[in-house]
Amino acid sequence: MIPGMDCVARAAAACLIALLALTGCADRGPAAGGVTIVFKHAKILGPVDPMPGLLAEFEARHPGVRVKAEALPWNSDEQRQFLVINLEGGNPGFDVMMLDCIWVPEFARAGWLLDLTPALAPGEMEAHFPSAVAPGRYRGRDWALPWFMNVGLLYYRTDLLFKYGLGVPETQAEMVTAIRRVRAGERDPRLEGYLWQGKQYEGLVVNALEGFWAAGTEVLDADGRVFPQPERATAALTFLRGLIDEGLSPGWVTAADEEVTRRAFGQGEAVFLRSWPYAADLFELPESRVRGKVGLAPLPRRDRATPAPGSTGGSHLAVTRATAHREAAVALVRFLAGEPAQRALAETGAVKPSRPALYRDPALVRAFPSLPRIHDLTMAGRPRPVTPAYVMLSTALQPELSAALVGVKTPAVSVAHAQRRLTFLLAGLER
Amino acid sequence: MRPLGGGRGTGLALVAPALVVLAVVTVFPALWVMWLSLQRRIPIFGISAFEGWGNYLFLAGDPRFWNAAWVTLIFTVVSVLLELALGVLVALALVGQRRGVRTAIALLLLSWALPAVVTGKLFEWLYNPAAGLVNFLLGGARLNWLGDPTLAFPGLVLADVWRTMPFVAILCLARLRGIPAEVYEAARVDGAGPLATLVRITLPLCKQILLIAVLFRTLDALRAFDLMFVLTGGGPAGTTETLTVYAYRSLFQTLHLGLGSAIGVVVFALVMLVAWGYLRALRHEGIAA
Repeated sequence: MIPGMDCVARAAAACLIALLALTGCADRGPAAGGVTIVFKHAKILGPVDPMPGLLAEFEARHPGVRVKAEALPWNSDEQRQFLVINLEGGNPGFDVMMLDCIWVPEFARAGWLLDLTPALAPGEMEAHFPSAVAPGRYRGRDWALPWFMNVGLLYYRTDLLFKYGLGVPETQAEMVTAIRRVRAGERDPRLEGYLWQGKQYEGLVVNALEGFWAAGTEVLDADGRVFPQPERATAALTFLRGLIDEGLSPGWVTAADEEVTRRAFGQGEAVFLRSWPYAADLFELPESRVRGKVGLAPLPRRDRATPAPGSTGGSHLAVTRATAHREAAVALVRFLAGEPAQRALAETGAVKPSRPALYRDPALVRAFPSLPRIHDLTMAGRPRPVTPAYVMLSTALQPELSAALVGVKTPAVSVAHAQRRLTFLLAGLER
Repeated sequence: MRPLGGGRGTGLALVAPALVVLAVVTVFPALWVMWLSLQRRIPIFGISAFEGWGNYLFLAGDPRFWNAAWVTLIFTVVSVLLELALGVLVALALVGQRRGVRTAIALLLLSWALPAVVTGKLFEWLYNPAAGLVNFLLGGARLNWLGDPTLAFPGLVLADVWRTMPFVAILCLARLRGIPAEVYEAARVDGAGPLATLVRITLPLCKQILLIAVLFRTLDALRAFDLMFVLTGGGPAGTTETLTVYAYRSLFQTLHLGLGSAIGVVVFALVMLVAWGYLRALRHEGIAA
């Protein structure tokens, strides 16, 4: 016998066993007289993972049903890629998925999601924020249940505003004045004014949309027209570009995402920050340099008469249309989106619930004192355009918006180019 | 030497399984992408129709495509040239050393071994205008590396050079060590100075290995994706968006499968063209059969 042959044989045997194990994993048929639901979700950050406990509770309430939770990739782009490839293949290998709210109409339009409307109790959706229900609703049907909630808001330094006798700015002009006053008084070259997200990615689109809404316009109107008022969109971009030109925002916001800006503000290096609620708890950690010095406010308005809603975001839960276990899968989605499960998830502090009632829950408010404030901001929030073409729209907008911010194009030219490109891309797509 | 037992037939039969596997995992997907690129296929909207050259015609008039093609080419040329020059310099510096060579090689391998995504994240923080090491080393400059359209591209090239220069350096070092000392002694006897030795002896002897290194690096650079995707996402204003990033966005984000495939086919054609050119050059050098 050739030396090493034994090794080869063992390796081959190991491969065979691994292969059998894999095919065993892929087999999702009834296990011991029950059904197994495969649930794809991103890992929930925080000190403890509440998911195993929640799923065990669900299994105890539904005898014969087993839930197999599987992790989605880490970042949003990879999650989307994974879901799209598997759903487009027709046999996804999972029954329930967590998905970014901006994908719901798209996945519903593609026929990948199960219509949940018939399974819902009357009034069930009313328990969620309206801006959480809207992205899950397409053609009058509910395709996904809201799970986690997000809203764009303004963080400000209470100590600095108080020191200079300034109120919380309600308009963009007031914010600019406040920045000038504080920086003139502090004489600290490291202290920046207003931080926001200007890197060429989805976050930039969110910041720009908030600017467009504050200027009283939008990217896509009810009739499907792109940039119905280009001059207002131009004005909004001119304001953002002006913040950089006048040194009110540092030039590096054009490469900044949420974490980069959150860290700088958390180091005490800025007066104002536009971000999501997740940052509030991080600023109050014992080792934080801005602990006890941060306030939460609505985004500043352009003029007092026009509301400036923060963009909402979050994650939804949906069932694949191809699932062989509709009842159990729908039950799991309703269980996880229900109040007890959302409370357990909110207790980790990693996510905010989509149910307004929980923002007034005494125990939760004691642990997270900013909840009532976030509730009001979320109530006033606005979802991004609810259309199956949203990601297409965002991807086309990103380079144009970035070009306006870094000065490669004037705001007017970049709006005109974005308008032309989007009109071409959306032409003939029935929404 | 006569092959063991049997002639060509047996040989072909023996490689057949490998060829079949290659055909299934390489040729079939490649053909499928080409077929997709001739269609207007947007599954979300239920659109799936053959439309011939439509996607390619759209690309021909698409400024974003031409920008991405230009970025891809410049990125490839500049980064490969820099990697080549620096790699050779590092190898030359290392070959004469007695101590610390192992440590140096280990350090070189470290940057080569890191996944591009990790390198991307690493450089994102190195380039941070306020807290980054790069600006600190430049004496507290507040350069907006990744947010300035004139700096983002050099920043990207620098990160790529840091990551892949070791590949060239290590290949070159291996070749340098194989050059017999007698050759250099003969050169010295003939009165060749250090520069003449480098240009007329060392580099010509390294030519073959360098051609192979450049072939690999060029093909990698043309297909590079993860580094720019993580570092800049193609921004600002699309100044670092390569063809692969544009293809990814069309394929997996906007789900224009036909258009994304067409961009993929263009990258494929570009890579094949360059590979063919290099293989011709290598054959000329007598390396490839």
